[in-house]
Amino acid sequence: MDQSVAIQETLMQGEYCVIAVQGVLCEGDSRQSRLLGLVRHRLEHGGQEHALFLYTHRRMAITGDDVTLDQIVPVSRDFTLEEVSSDGELYILGSDVTIQLDTVELSLTFQLPFGSHTRMFLQEVARACPGFDPATPDPEFQWLSGYQCLQREPDSRTLHGWNLARDTWPGYTTIGGGGSNFDNSRSNGKSLLGDQSSGGQDKAENSLTRQNKSKSEITDLVRSSTITVSDKAHILSMQKFGLRDTIVKSHLVQKEDDYTYIQNFRFFVGTYNVNGQSPKECLRPWLSHGIQAPDVYCVGFQELDLSKEAFFFHDTPKEEEWFKAVSESLHPDAKYAKVKLIRMVGIMLLLYVKQEHAAYISEVETETVGTGIMGRMGNKGGVAIRFQLHNTSICIVNSHLAAHTEEYERRNQDYKDICSRMQFCQVDPSLPALTISKHDVILWLGDLNYRIEDLDVEKVKKLVEEKDFQTLYAYDQLKIQVAAKTVFDGYTEGELTFQPTYKYDTGSDDWDTSEKCRAPAWCDRILWKGKNIIQLSYQSHMALKTSDHKPVSSEFDIGVKVINDELYRKTLEEIVRSLDKMENANIPSVSLSKREFCFQNVKYMQLQVDSFTIHNGQVPCQFEFINKPDEQSFCKQWLSANPSKGFLLPDSNAKIELELFVNKTTATKLNSGEDKIEDILVLHLDRGKDYFLSVTGNYLPSCFGSPIHTLCYMRQPIVDLPLETISELTLMPMQTEDDGSQLESPMEIPKELWMMVDYLYRNAIQQEDLFQQPGLRSEFEHIRDCLDTGMIDNLSASNHSVAEALLLFLESLPEPVICYRAYHSCLECTGNYTASKQVISTLPTFHKNVFNYLMAFLQELLKNSTKNHLDGNILASIFGSLLLRNPAGHEKLEMTDKKKAQEFIHQFLCNTL
Amino acid sequence: MATAPYNYSYIFKYIIIGDMGVGKSCLLHQFTEKKFMADCPHTIGVEFGTRIIEVSGQKIKLQIWDTAGQERFRAVTRSYYRGAAGALMVYDITRRSTYNHLSSWLTDARNLTNPNTVIILIGNKADLDAQRDVTYEEAKQFAEENGLLFLEASAKTGENVEDAFLEAAKKIYQNIQDGSLDLNAAESGVQHKPSAPQGGRLTSEPQPQREGCGC
Ligand SMILES: Nc1nc2c(ncn2[C@@H]2O[C@H](COP(=O)(O)OP(=O)(O)O)[C@@H](O)[C@H]2O)c(=O)[nH]1
Ligand SMILES: [Mg+2]
Repeated sequence: MDQSVAIQETLMQGEYCVIAVQGVLCEGDSRQSRLLGLVRHRLEHGGQEHALFLYTHRRMAITGDDVTLDQIVPVSRDFTLEEVSSDGELYILGSDVTIQLDTVELSLTFQLPFGSHTRMFLQEVARACPGFDPATPDPEFQWLSGYQCLQREPDSRTLHGWNLARDTWPGYTTIGGGGSNFDNSRSNGKSLLGDQSSGGQDKAENSLTRQNKSKSEITDLVRSSTITVSDKAHILSMQKFGLRDTIVKSHLVQKEDDYTYIQNFRFFVGTYNVNGQSPKECLRPWLSHGIQAPDVYCVGFQELDLSKEAFFFHDTPKEEEWFKAVSESLHPDAKYAKVKLIRMVGIMLLLYVKQEHAAYISEVETETVGTGIMGRMGNKGGVAIRFQLHNTSICIVNSHLAAHTEEYERRNQDYKDICSRMQFCQVDPSLPALTISKHDVILWLGDLNYRIEDLDVEKVKKLVEEKDFQTLYAYDQLKIQVAAKTVFDGYTEGELTFQPTYKYDTGSDDWDTSEKCRAPAWCDRILWKGKNIIQLSYQSHMALKTSDHKPVSSEFDIGVKVINDELYRKTLEEIVRSLDKMENANIPSVSLSKREFCFQNVKYMQLQVDSFTIHNGQVPCQFEFINKPDEQSFCKQWLSANPSKGFLLPDSNAKIELELFVNKTTATKLNSGEDKIEDILVLHLDRGKDYFLSVTGNYLPSCFGSPIHTLCYMRQPIVDLPLETISELTLMPMQTEDDGSQLESPMEIPKELWMMVDYLYRNAIQQEDLFQQPGLRSEFEHIRDCLDTGMIDNLSASNHSVAEALLLFLESLPEPVICYRAYHSCLECTGNYTASKQVISTLPTFHKNVFNYLMAFLQELLKNSTKNHLDGNILASIFGSLLLRNPAGHEKLEMTDKKKAQEFIHQFLCNTL
Repeated sequence: MATAPYNYSYIFKYIIIGDMGVGKSCLLHQFTEKKFMADCPHTIGVEFGTRIIEVSGQKIKLQIWDTAGQERFRAVTRSYYRGAAGALMVYDITRRSTYNHLSSWLTDARNLTNPNTVIILIGNKADLDAQRDVTYEEAKQFAEENGLLFLEASAKTGENVEDAFLEAAKKIYQNIQDGSLDLNAAESGVQHKPSAPQGGRLTSEPQPQREGCGC
């Protein structure tokens, strides 16, 4: 069902149809099918450009002949293709996908079929978008000038088609692109100044750019050797844009327990407010002494750099210094890979994993939230890294909350702001952003700045000295606030068995002796939330004296969901199978009330109608009768189907009428048996099944449509003759004379002609307006039956009906009375009666007989012209066009030829024969 | 497990042909739904089914066209052969006439598809061994003489049904691998799809195969 092959055939050398999809273009109430092909052009100097080619098409396009290029939409920088969902409606699985295509010039809405193919198409288009990198040149689309499209209506739409000046596209792009970037970053809730994340962050300007950039920094090496993310991580990561994939993923999440088991990972979490200092001492006592090598290191700093420069400019040498200091002090028993470093002013978070786990880390995202001055600046706030370790999602937050003893409510507020504004992009941009709380495991560390309240400094110091942390703890603001559920709801903190980590005289273990003489406080804390987390230690490290804070650390055993390959594969297969089934169930399917149609005893010019109902299943569908190969139309000429195409909503019906009507064009072959009342119609459902309808029946041969000489040899009524005889006589070649080859000697003229003329001669010779008034249809049928059955005595019809039957008879003759081959000679000798008579004398006997017979009859009529008001001109013009027919068909009949034919006949009406 | 996740990279078109009543629709249904549809209505037209399978670690989407078997529709069904990568030619082991007609089906299949189209002969209704009218051996010989894959299967029990579709796919894939099936040909019946990017981590972008198609 993929139709890119057909599109490919229409493309020029070097252009390639990446993928095609058939959709419905919706404009107002109109719905038109289009083929959408994504076409790639390779540029000579490297690089590539894309455009969407829109085609009108015949049914399911198989070759280039089936498609016609209608419109080209270059995939320029302002090009967007977005899926739109009707507001407020639930997403309906299996429904069509509505997409909106926008560029500066146009806006189109399409409906694409549900399913993976559409997803793949959207994915490919997304990949084709040029992105916003100013380093790459704007696409120029020069190659498109070689294509001619059907012209669209010349109104405002002219811009749509490919008839623009080349520079119409890129002109707008930088403005449009840049503008939307700005808007986006604002709507993310960040002012330009406040968004002071460190360099490694590529903010999502636009979902499309995101896809073009590699976000992976995981391969930064800390200690020797090379390490890359193995393919394994792909299993954990998600593909973008794919509905099929999204569904698979959501099923996989639901069935997670079926294919995962819990395995403990040792996490080291550390936090250190370094008071703007550079590293002066080894960090091993904090990071690696007395512990076994952890699997994961999460190390956070606050007040990395207190200088104005760090505040207003993004760079600080401290970042590198502390990163190095940490990297050198990690546990010596293992090799670690840095996963990510994220910094906002002085708040920095580092994530390392043991090298062997790197392959199982995926979907790493970072975010920052400033809560400082003006509620935005980065001197306070939080930074976070989220990632997936095996199948468990983990979020690490490092925050530095508002200072000062009395400001605990501010701190609560900061926490809430961080929670609400920290939003991680998803790999699939169509999914809503992830928040901190959406993770299986959350580890929150930092200088939370909660103090000990309602105790004077000396009392605090005394309790510390007595190591009565229990008593002291009761006055801890964080404990009080958590208990009141105003902050860190649902989080757990381990027991505080170490003395407050703030505030010391730098370089010592002595309490602050400065003027302010701050009371000691447990500013630096580590909390967690999630299942399968066991805290193994929670301590401060007095040995480090660089700062006025002491660093804090905690070790955890965290149960991580690890995939069992075997079970995963099994589960995945089940899911893929169920999706296949769903896809099959979504192939449009209808039921037909009838698929065999039998038309009995079809007669000449007698309409027969049969009908059937299409009942649609659950998938909206478009139906259409399609041509069989090598045929010009979907059914035989004597048949028609109404309507021949249409659209059906689920569970709705359409009634189709099949009309059978044999006229002069089709009668002769039915008489001869060359054609039969037999046909197969193919009812095609767009993207779905084809249904065959069979039409059968029998035709009753008639004198109408039979050649003159054939009728002359039929002494009996045509209905009394065996079909073979009729066939034989109809196929018999026209001879000039009776050659005696037939058993029975022929009549001079067809008896049916005689019957009609005789009837008129007897009854209508004085009839006013003869040949000028229409007859009655029912009477025609009666006359036809009388002629074909030979029961002429039963004939009772109005003169006008008989006169019309005579004209119809002459019209139905496959070879006109004056044979086609004599046509031109007749016109030439018009005006020369002798020559005209000479031409008539060359006609085959039966034709000559008929001609003379008719002329004699018409002359008789003219004798009564006072009564019947006929004159030579009227009769000549009526009979001229029936007796003399242009072999090239009527569309070529010119006025002068018509006139000549009339004059030709006229000669025979006013002269003796 | 190291394969790309959920998307397929090839589409193969299959057709199922053979006399009416040999079980073509049941085979398709068994393959896509793993169920036997005893009261399957006659196919009067063309139906589709799809399923994603895996061959040598590649995900392949099979797109299977099930055609009407009646003689009177023969002229019309012929138009659906075009562009098939695989053809399942089915007879009923309990009805010799359906076996006798094979040469006519085979002529159509050969004339209307490309030379590389893989044809597999399937003797269906293998569960009705007691009523067998065509021996395994003679059909096997017929298949060998004509260079066809051959299996006896049962749409009822499901025996060999999966294999029939898979064997053909393996053969097609093998033809692609060894270059004998030219994907550039418009009628190869195979489409190669670049698999989708994964989480922005794909370093090398897979290139579609039909590049520079000379048609
Ligand atoms: N016992 C048996 N019956 C089958 C098998 N396959 C199909 N049938 C029956 O054969 C009849 C025709 O099957 P169908 O699939 O409609 O044949 P088709 O015309 O080739 O599509 C149905 O009545 C099925 O129930 C089979 O493997 N074993
Ligand atoms: Mg069938």
